[in-house]
Amino acid sequence: MSKKQVLIESVCALLILLFLYASISKFLDFKTFIDQMNNQPLPNSWTPFLVWGIPLLEIAISISLLFEYTRLIGFYASLILMIAFTLYTGIVLLHFFPYIPCSCGGVIRKLTWSQHLILNLFYVSLSILGIILQHRKYFKPIFITNQHSLV
Amino acid sequence: MKKIKWTILTLAILSSVGGAFASRPPALVSGLYYFNGEGYMPVTGQLGVTYVCESSTSTCTYTYSQGVYTPYQTASSYTPIAVTLTTKPTPKKNN
Repeated sequence: MSKKQVLIESVCALLILLFLYASISKFLDFKTFIDQMNNQPLPNSWTPFLVWGIPLLEIAISISLLFEYTRLIGFYASLILMIAFTLYTGIVLLHFFPYIPCSCGGVIRKLTWSQHLILNLFYVSLSILGIILQHRKYFKPIFITNQHSLV
Repeated sequence: MKKIKWTILTLAILSSVGGAFASRPPALVSGLYYFNGEGYMPVTGQLGVTYVCESSTSTCTYTYSQGVYTPYQTASSYTPIAVTLTTKPTPKKNN
């Protein structure tokens, strides 16, 4: 197993660790999660979609990261989701909403909004790294093969 | 190669599942309370509907057991949602 492959697996493992932990925590204490979602300065009519949509999407991303064929989609999906979370955190920190809600959820509830932002940015960069590594893994051999065919 | 891959991924799965169960908060056995500056009052209504926990250094809600109030929702403060009238009442016309 090459160093690059170990790096890809480690990036996947870290993303799975976050998404699976976050989604299971939400389902284990679902009522609190609904309350916390209502506590966010978003319309409460969005809550039914968000409380099901977010954890199910996190589980779907985790599963897609497990398998080679779906991994690239998983990296892109995790990047989009982490960018969405980062933007929301940034908007909250910029006092865009009428109030700043508590930053709560799982063990991560202990983090402040600023710490959340740092964690999100770390996972955004991790998703980007995963995309780059996965792209190189598949597109480099094709490029080399084409060069050889020209010679 | 596949063995190392699945070892890393299995470790991640087991850690996340185990971590989620380990950090599961205890189920609420009694109601929630908030501190209004003078005493503890029972919380009525629902979070995000009748009140919100705004980010702050104090405690939003407490649980009560055997004479002790324990902080429940920390790093936030209790803020009731103001009930606002969406339509102005129309004055009665005297004919």
